[in-house]
Amino acid sequence: MTALLGVMLLALSPPAAQAVEWDQNILKIGVLEEPKSLNLWLAGDAWSNHVLQLFYQQLYVNRPGDLKKVPWLATGDPQYDPQTLSYTVDLRPARWSDGSPFTAHDVVFTGQLIQKFKVPRFYSLWSFVKSIEAVGDHQVRFVLNRPDASFTARTLATPLVQKTQWEPIVKQCLATKKPLASLLRVSLDHPASSGPFVLKSWRRGVFLHLERNPHFFGQGLSLDGRPLGPHIEGIVFKVYGTSDAAILALRKGSIDFYWNNVQPGYLRDIAGDPAIQVFRNQKSALYFMGFNLRRPPFDDLALRRAVAMLVDKRFIVTRVLQNAGEVMSALVPAGNAFYHLDQVAPYDQELTRGQRVQKAYEILTEAGYTWKTRPMDHAGRVQTCSCLLRPDGSEVPPLTILTPPADYDPQRAMSGMMIQEWLGQVGIMAAARPMAFGAMLEKVKGHHDYDAFVLGYGNLSLDPAWVSAFFVSKNAGKSGWNMSGYHDPQFDALAEKAAKTLDPEQRRDLVLQMQRMVQRDVPFLPLYNPLLVEAARNDRFQGWVPMVGGIGNLWSLCQLRPSGAPAAEVR
Amino acid sequence: MARYVAGRLAQIVVILFMIVTILFVLFRLAPGDPVSRMVDPSLSPEEAANLIAQLGLDKPIGQQYLQYLQNFVKGNFGHSFHYGLPVGQVIMAKLPNTILLFTTAMVLSALAGIAWGKVAAWKKGLGTDTALTVAALVTHTLFLPWLALLVIWIFGYKLDWLPINGMISAEVWLDPMSGPVDKALDVAYHMVLPLATLFIMHFGSYLLVMRSSMLQTLREDYIITARAKGLTEREIRNHHAAPNAWLPVITSVGLSLAFSINGGALTETVFSWPGIGRELVMAVSQNDYPLAQASFLLIAMVVLFANLVVDLLYAFFDPRIRY
Repeated sequence: MTALLGVMLLALSPPAAQAVEWDQNILKIGVLEEPKSLNLWLAGDAWSNHVLQLFYQQLYVNRPGDLKKVPWLATGDPQYDPQTLSYTVDLRPARWSDGSPFTAHDVVFTGQLIQKFKVPRFYSLWSFVKSIEAVGDHQVRFVLNRPDASFTARTLATPLVQKTQWEPIVKQCLATKKPLASLLRVSLDHPASSGPFVLKSWRRGVFLHLERNPHFFGQGLSLDGRPLGPHIEGIVFKVYGTSDAAILALRKGSIDFYWNNVQPGYLRDIAGDPAIQVFRNQKSALYFMGFNLRRPPFDDLALRRAVAMLVDKRFIVTRVLQNAGEVMSALVPAGNAFYHLDQVAPYDQELTRGQRVQKAYEILTEAGYTWKTRPMDHAGRVQTCSCLLRPDGSEVPPLTILTPPADYDPQRAMSGMMIQEWLGQVGIMAAARPMAFGAMLEKVKGHHDYDAFVLGYGNLSLDPAWVSAFFVSKNAGKSGWNMSGYHDPQFDALAEKAAKTLDPEQRRDLVLQMQRMVQRDVPFLPLYNPLLVEAARNDRFQGWVPMVGGIGNLWSLCQLRPSGAPAAEVR
Repeated sequence: MARYVAGRLAQIVVILFMIVTILFVLFRLAPGDPVSRMVDPSLSPEEAANLIAQLGLDKPIGQQYLQYLQNFVKGNFGHSFHYGLPVGQVIMAKLPNTILLFTTAMVLSALAGIAWGKVAAWKKGLGTDTALTVAALVTHTLFLPWLALLVIWIFGYKLDWLPINGMISAEVWLDPMSGPVDKALDVAYHMVLPLATLFIMHFGSYLLVMRSSMLQTLREDYIITARAKGLTEREIRNHHAAPNAWLPVITSVGLSLAFSINGGALTETVFSWPGIGRELVMAVSQNDYPLAQASFLLIAMVVLFANLVVDLLYAFFDPRIRY
């Protein structure tokens, strides 16, 4: 015991090395999870993407503000030739972290790799590309099978890998029985980087150390009016098990930025700290209630509209989200301004609880629903009603609203419970049922065995191709993305047209029309879009770039500079 | 003895086979789709099916089971769906961290529990006994995450004496000036809070077992004989009573050490300790069948072998026991 106490006392004195300030120009970022892999083809989760986006660069990226695509590894806009259905893209002179040049052959190799292996997450963006060819070292020509709007928006934003690093790996994988599985199992210790940083070391489960890539093309360059660096020597990603620990580390100064949403409960603690700045940004997210249109009772539009009328989204945002979010009336969030439908649905007007019940009552009555005891008395006051009866006189059976469990997402779980109560006001016996996320997805997407659910997408692509994917008839089968089973030939036609329309304005009109149809038919009821609240210390670094999706982005990490440092020369 | 050991080993093989089968079935029955996290809305069901086939999950369950057994016999546990790495590599990267923390905590808790349990039993009914027993009961029933957060808040944040999380600090390990001693001290420095928390949580159970066993032993005839022989109280306590009271504690310590390899998901999460416990929880929640199965299997194997070792130790500590 004495020895133990001795060790403990010895340990109580901080190691001497902590006093050395080797890390004064190193940004320290707290994360809850480390990347699952440095293999781009396997790792697609948000935590991996935090790191991988700093290595694997794209031809075009979204700029802050209007989110338009701007050339990154490309120079200038892609040139389209409608005669040959081809795009030509010019590349800027750039180098990989090993000093070798980035060329058109790297782009061709990446595209062909995705096509050959049918790599999940990427293949659908390349399946309509007929051929890719390098025209010299700095020009690439893509020939398409058919015009596809997602080519410029998404295909040209594919992260690119170095041919010389991946070519031998690909050969080995192709020689195996299961090439894709082999590709996903590739363990890459030091990925070649064309981005602002390169991996220096990784202690699994503890930290990753990235250092500045001396060959990064953006060093000292101004892109879209933004002077790029990086102006910092490196980044250390520190892994924390819980938000509690990460927030304490931020307050203590052990990290400069916590790359995750800060829950409202922590805000009060950090708001009073002058060294911590809180940023609130919109997310490209959609949290919604979905209905099963394949079976009663939600195969009835009137019932879905009545439910939409009963759901008080403002209440959810103010009480459940504690104002850290915004009401959603259309599918595309407001932050994605170009494709956002700025039209409030009839059920999203500011109404009192009584008015909501009154309007739901009117919708249901008009559709032939009845009650033994109505939800409104003769004086127009809300009263406890009996079970809702269908037009044929039978009772609307008790139904369930599936939600993720509270430990996974308390806001969605709580929203489900609120909706359950509101439905009860017109005699719909609903029960919110939290269940494990995987099990819920299987029920909803795999077996279509549900009445309604509350789900969310926290990081939707800025290109709205997903609006089509969620509602086109061809995706309504088992495991398809049309989870509600929505079927409307007019919507299908619009979706098909939108996919082929290359003119952004025309495509926008089509996407808006599709959103209007969803507002009208209510297969999904958009609920809210939570704000992304992030916190960073301002005593060591400054220059965070806010944009949809938060301050943790490529632009920020290319522009951050030590506090008080002079602006760099721009060429 | 050799016959007994051979028999127990045969039992272990049968039990392991049952565990392997149960694990396989349980994970396939569990809801959720291991590939759902690898696809996005633009991926067609056909492309998702291709991915499932590549991972070998499209084959009939019986065929998957036979393949699994075949691989198990060869010691091949497959690749983690999540990390894409061989399962053994994932486990071995985290297991030493867990063993370091939890085994140290278990050994220290057991030593303290045995020592204090001995004292409590010897001073039964007195203030020392009451204080130790109450302390053991209270600390043993604490909620670990609450205690962990409390010590982090006080010693890590308010007093700023100790690191609030992790096993090492990047500042020390990335510093080119840091030597092996600095790094070793850094690990010790990071171990203090989780170790103290685990110690507080666990010493009580050993104390109570030891106290109870010791009280029983003190009623034995040979203790009266020892007193009659005129031995000192200290000699009677330490050389006659305590050794005979160890047996139940040995069982408890043996099993605790075995279970310590699965770490504690809660402890590892709260202290951000990069161990196998967190990995296990993540593997189960993400339907990472190969990693979850191999982790559970490892725990089962260690527990089974620990049981055998404990049984053999009984014979060593108590000459009356013979196999």
